[in-house]
Amino acid sequence: MSKSAFEVEVECECEACEKGKCDSADLVDVLSEREGLKEFYEEFKDSIHECRRLTYGQYLFVIDRDVLPEATLWWHNHPRFKETHMSTAVGTDERAIAGKFSYMPLINVQVEAENMDRNFWVLLKAYMPADDPSFPSVAAKLPAALWIEREVKDLLGFRPIGHPDPRRLILPEDWPEGVYPLRKDMDYRHSPMREPETEFREPPEGTTTVPMGPFHMGIEEPAHFRLFVKGEEIVDVDYRGFYSHRGIEKVGEGRLTYNQVLFLAERICGICGYQHSVSYAMAVERLADVDIPDRARYIRTLMLELERIHNHLLWVGIAAHMVGFDTGFMHAWRIREPVMWLVERLTGNRKQYGMNIVGGVRRDILDYRKEEILKVVKEIREGTKKFLDIALNTNTFIKRAEGVGILPYKIAKAYSVLGPTARASGRRIDARLDQATKTAMAYNEVDFKVPVYKEGDVLARVLVRMDELFESLWIVEQLIDQMPGGDIMVPIGKLPEYAEALGFTEAHRGEVLHYVMTGEKNKVYRWKVRAPTYNNLPAIPDMLRGYNVADAPLIIASIDPCYSCTERVQFVDVRTGRVRVLTEAEFNELSIKNRGVF
Amino acid sequence: MYESLALKIAGIIVMVLLPPYLDGIARRVKARIQYRRGPPLAQTWYDLRKLFAIPTVLPTKSWMFKAAPYLALASALAAALLLPYGGHVPVNFGYNIIVFFYVVAMVSVFVMLGGFSVQNAFSHLGSAREMTLLLTVEPILAVVYGVFAYNSGSLNLYHIMTHLHLSASLLFAYIILGYALYVESGFVPFDVAEAEQEVIGGPLAEYSGRLLGVFYYAIYIKRFALLWFFVSMVTYPIVGPVHGLAKSVGLFALQLLLTFALYPIIAALEATNARLRIDHIVRTNVKIFFIGLGILAMAFMGW
Repeated sequence: MSKSAFEVEVECECEACEKGKCDSADLVDVLSEREGLKEFYEEFKDSIHECRRLTYGQYLFVIDRDVLPEATLWWHNHPRFKETHMSTAVGTDERAIAGKFSYMPLINVQVEAENMDRNFWVLLKAYMPADDPSFPSVAAKLPAALWIEREVKDLLGFRPIGHPDPRRLILPEDWPEGVYPLRKDMDYRHSPMREPETEFREPPEGTTTVPMGPFHMGIEEPAHFRLFVKGEEIVDVDYRGFYSHRGIEKVGEGRLTYNQVLFLAERICGICGYQHSVSYAMAVERLADVDIPDRARYIRTLMLELERIHNHLLWVGIAAHMVGFDTGFMHAWRIREPVMWLVERLTGNRKQYGMNIVGGVRRDILDYRKEEILKVVKEIREGTKKFLDIALNTNTFIKRAEGVGILPYKIAKAYSVLGPTARASGRRIDARLDQATKTAMAYNEVDFKVPVYKEGDVLARVLVRMDELFESLWIVEQLIDQMPGGDIMVPIGKLPEYAEALGFTEAHRGEVLHYVMTGEKNKVYRWKVRAPTYNNLPAIPDMLRGYNVADAPLIIASIDPCYSCTERVQFVDVRTGRVRVLTEAEFNELSIKNRGVF
Repeated sequence: MYESLALKIAGIIVMVLLPPYLDGIARRVKARIQYRRGPPLAQTWYDLRKLFAIPTVLPTKSWMFKAAPYLALASALAAALLLPYGGHVPVNFGYNIIVFFYVVAMVSVFVMLGGFSVQNAFSHLGSAREMTLLLTVEPILAVVYGVFAYNSGSLNLYHIMTHLHLSASLLFAYIILGYALYVESGFVPFDVAEAEQEVIGGPLAEYSGRLLGVFYYAIYIKRFALLWFFVSMVTYPIVGPVHGLAKSVGLFALQLLLTFALYPIIAALEATNARLRIDHIVRTNVKIFFIGLGILAMAFMGW
């Protein structure tokens, strides 16, 4: 796993070689597998210590921390790979394995839109010594890194040098300085307190502050937008969130096996739970290098699409409610209900299907249920058409949605905005087709379009989602038609130790990303979850600026924010069995009181 | 004599008891449009009864906060008292169209004052919207009332209603009157001041319990008064001067019937619209104001 710096310069390895499946894989081969890799290697040759292919379409480079910003920007601003974005980053306390901390931006490289065999992931890992966990910040040049750098600062105590806004992001106001919950020597039962201190931004001169939140009717979950307004016009916005962050990470620590974490993953979100569950399962399957049966892939895809259908209907209802168009709200939810009944028939639950398992699915779809699925699909299609006919002909609704909350393409790209929000601003991205989902899902075997709009306003976001809804219905019909027979799962067996991989799906809000690093004895050492709202929310201030207070709830709702996804489980770290934790210099004195051993 | 007294008392009973039931009808109609069953017709009364029984949380020491709901209620009742019920007006005197114009506006003014009496950004935002709404819709009403007054040669409501003569300007004035009264009532596309999702109830944000109940009651009565005014403006010119008990009762019944008939239409409009933004409304109102001026000019020309 960890190699000392001098020995690696020339040596590269891929997993296939270790297993003896491939005899001639070397540096040149790995680098020539995908476009851009060689170019990158040439550019940063002196700073690259190691390069590996983790699994199909996922490449890891171990680089010097000093070149992190340049390397990240090199990919992000690559002139040929237009839609390449920095998805997120992972900070890990690897002191138990490598004696160091690591920080690793994850980059989604798009060589060609909708071609999963040419696009790939790049993981840029930089090690930091245990006594000086700092790295140069890229956030000043790349807003997409703003939050994640604040996050690793909060949770792991890394110092992003040169960060433009190093305020606290995740930890609550009454959490003391110098206590880092995601370090391995921190006990999950420990919850220290201090006097609360708020770090709000100073309002610009001549403005009044309208506090939207922490609890506000227009935003169903706790979030705190401070709108600085002149009259009714929004001049600037400050955001403080993460009120529902509760660190499930530490709860699971040391207890759960890789299959149990899967069910925790499903509970990250009440709406896109299955997306998280599939993403996690995919990550584990990738690092264990198993291929799941075709029938399992099809069933997973079916459930994912049904989830998208009911979510989009739910969302359009909420959007109507936000502008006081309650009839639209009621009808959208009425049309949605049959999907809920259907998935209850298929899985036993309306939500939190419990359908997945690493290596496949737990329940088969019975053949006589296929008719029922097709019936519901037909119903939904007709109902939605009628609904859209009415909603899009409601003058007052259009008046409120058109030309409001415009997110220009440039900002969308700089913040790595994802999903329908990005597609409404002209970004041509869809993780279903852009990255190699074919190992866990069946998107490569169905035919569908990815709708893209250029307007970037709220109306475009409505239209993108509605177009997607019809595409999803079409996908479901194809899946039923092509459903192969056979097994629905394969056993995984033993997981390799300290192996890493990514799992991802395109949820209704954008790309869901799970990073898994295994520990010993089939446990998970590090699990990082990045829900799409995490990337979409930081762009909200840019959408709000210059518009009306009256538009704020609609604009915020238009990205389909899901605070519980974004916040509840930022990370889940699960540590292997009863391992004694190394007591490092940073060992927190308070956690000694809590026995420090877990 | 007795007949007049009886009708006036009937009118007062109607203006006190009916408005929440009208809201009940609206809720029922909206529910049906949304494929729901909807609450019982008396639900709004149940809500009010519950609110009246709950003490209010006082967020401020300002006396205006406590007085505003009652003053609003008094203004709304005063407006309703100036209208004819079966040809008999409970409180009838000289130039009362001006009084009517301004007691109706006073309801909004007291809602605003209540909102401004507390330190709450949403209350202030909502009150500011209420003020904008008031300032843009009142000129329209003033112009339309001018057309009616000129047409009938009087400033007394009952006299106006019974002495209108048909002309093109009058027909246009009716259309604009309908619009202005709808806006003034604060029904859905124009409910910006209280917009729940945007300014969480606006001026009413800090109100609770009895005072909130009184405010709601005042708003229902105001809506009733505006609708009753419109209905009277439609029925009286057609039916003509009223003499005799049978005709009075018949007219009263007609007024009631028309009120019941119009409320579902209002509810349907509410259910099929999204809320507009205050700047949209201002723009529309300014346009309509100028059209109103044109109609006033037409009336002067005798068209």
